[in-house]
Amino acid sequence: MSNEPNKVVIGLWDHEEVYLHAVEHIRAKGIEIYESLTPFPVHGLEDALGYRETRLHTAGFFFGATGTTLALSFMTWVMTTNYPIDFGGKPYWPLPSFIPITFEMTVLFAAWGMTLTYLVRNRLWPGRVPRIYDVRTTDDRFALVFDAEKYPADKLNEIKELCKKEGAVEIKDKEFSGKDEL
Amino acid sequence: MKETFEFTPAIKKALFWMMGAGLIGLLFVFLMYPENKHARFWSNITLNVYYFTGIGLFGLFVVAATQLAYGGWQTLMKRIFLSLSAFAAIGGFLLLGILLLGFGHVHSLYDHVMHILHEGAGNPKFTTKLIYFAPAFWIGRLVAYALLWFGFSKVMNNFFARTDQTDPKVYKRSKLLAAAFIVVFALTESAVSWDMIMSMDPHWYSTLFGWYNFASYGCAAWAMTILIVIFLKSQGYLEKVNENHVHDLGKMLFGFSIFWTYLWFDQFMLQWYANIPEDTNFWVKRFDVGYFKFTVFLSLLINFVFPLLVLIKRGAKRNFRLIGFGAALLIFGHYVDFFNYTFFEPNNNEQATHHGSEHAAVKSTEEVVLYADASHGGEHGTTDATAAKHETTAGHSADAHAAGGHHAEEAPKNFAAIGLGELLIFIGFLGVFLYMFFNNLAKRPIVPENDPYLKESEKLTVIYS
Repeated sequence: MSNEPNKVVIGLWDHEEVYLHAVEHIRAKGIEIYESLTPFPVHGLEDALGYRETRLHTAGFFFGATGTTLALSFMTWVMTTNYPIDFGGKPYWPLPSFIPITFEMTVLFAAWGMTLTYLVRNRLWPGRVPRIYDVRTTDDRFALVFDAEKYPADKLNEIKELCKKEGAVEIKDKEFSGKDEL
Repeated sequence: MKETFEFTPAIKKALFWMMGAGLIGLLFVFLMYPENKHARFWSNITLNVYYFTGIGLFGLFVVAATQLAYGGWQTLMKRIFLSLSAFAAIGGFLLLGILLLGFGHVHSLYDHVMHILHEGAGNPKFTTKLIYFAPAFWIGRLVAYALLWFGFSKVMNNFFARTDQTDPKVYKRSKLLAAAFIVVFALTESAVSWDMIMSMDPHWYSTLFGWYNFASYGCAAWAMTILIVIFLKSQGYLEKVNENHVHDLGKMLFGFSIFWTYLWFDQFMLQWYANIPEDTNFWVKRFDVGYFKFTVFLSLLINFVFPLLVLIKRGAKRNFRLIGFGAALLIFGHYVDFFNYTFFEPNNNEQATHHGSEHAAVKSTEEVVLYADASHGGEHGTTDATAAKHETTAGHSADAHAAGGHHAEEAPKNFAAIGLGELLIFIGFLGVFLYMFFNNLAKRPIVPENDPYLKESEKLTVIYS
């Protein structure tokens, strides 16, 4: 996703069911859909688009494991090596009392790690102006975006024809200047 | 598509074999371990009756909770949850029987309470216990649970078989029924855990014990449902149930496992930290005996570490083999968990103290304090309590440094274990449970055709998230 295409073809639909079938048919023709934008979650769209399972939660597991390790090893170091204190006759390595803090650190690391990973992967860092393909996709239009740089002109025409056949209410070309812009 | 479960002779035969194994196990344990009035035999019965009753009640709870929460995903499996309660309908009466036998001194599981009832009158330490465990009140409560569970099991099974459930009036009444059961369940399942399990060691308190039991047999109930769904699918039933439904069941199983761990750890950590002899005594009795220490941590290993590392993945919950294996393992894991609470010896390691035997050792000082007769003076008790605290602390630091064993030579004789007899008895009770389950399931079509949420359940997909 790091290289966003500057030239795109956008098809707009106005009905969820038609849109879902269009996605299935277009993908069945072997045409790659670059992006799909809908005003609300469409049931079954992930399957129709053939999305893979996200790896975000796997990353989350490892962030969490980092937090666990860090918390446990730091407290162990402090309580056994750096500054051992006898608290109420408890052992110098009072593992049960570490667990709540370890749990909190695990959650903290997993939450921050996953949030930041998500933002970075979706190019949502501060100051970024998001590329908007069509403002109506937050209102009443379902959009499919095709990478126009990838296909030759006759193929693009074929895609446009196909979109029209599948019930698109509007098809347009759009060109971006290469910088982030509205 | 087969619509009504057919309870075939082949399945019946297999279940009768299981029950036969259970009978052999019961006989074996009864004959081989006559110590303490056949304590091992009666512990086994109490453990299994309680465990399977809990699983059954949890089935009703799932139906009630999802009905109240407008749940739709479970509708295809609604009759499975309802049928789980077939055993719970009689479980209350069995528990009542166990208690009555305890009063009749047939077994000695509740001897601590009997001792308090017998000798505690006038001792300010036992005022509330004497009220709560007054025989009429105690037995009366068990009677109430038994009747309520029996009644709700029958009423809910019949109600959700009605053909007019889409009628708004009937639907509204289903919410009332569900709400009523939630209240009854919350009160009875907490109280029965105190009455039947915590009272085996009445000097020990855990304020979250009701929840804890709920989470424990809750896990087992989800696991049981998963196994039954997989079994029924392999027999050609439940055509519309697919990996999405099993995925949701697996999520509940995973969630309840974590919930169980949370409660387990809360209970343990607070008592470890506060270090009050009454509380820690419970753990000392377990951690000082190698076998019980092993089972305590075995249950933690199976019920927490295994789901955390294996069942966390989406793929694991959608793979029938893996989730089926996990479910079977967790049913065993929670059996081990209840084993730690219900068996005679961990609760009665100090039994010798007030039965006057010199041979079975008095293990640590707090037992003298805790199980002292009213004749012990206040000052004497205080001194002993202080000594007990030191003893407990020593015991804990010892096991924390893995250098325990200073009690080893004086450890009391211990007859509790998860041996062949226990496994056979467990299989036997499982056979009874499944027999009643299938018997109830075969009465009506498996899929509740008239449920207003049926379509939602059929269309269930668990999206990537």
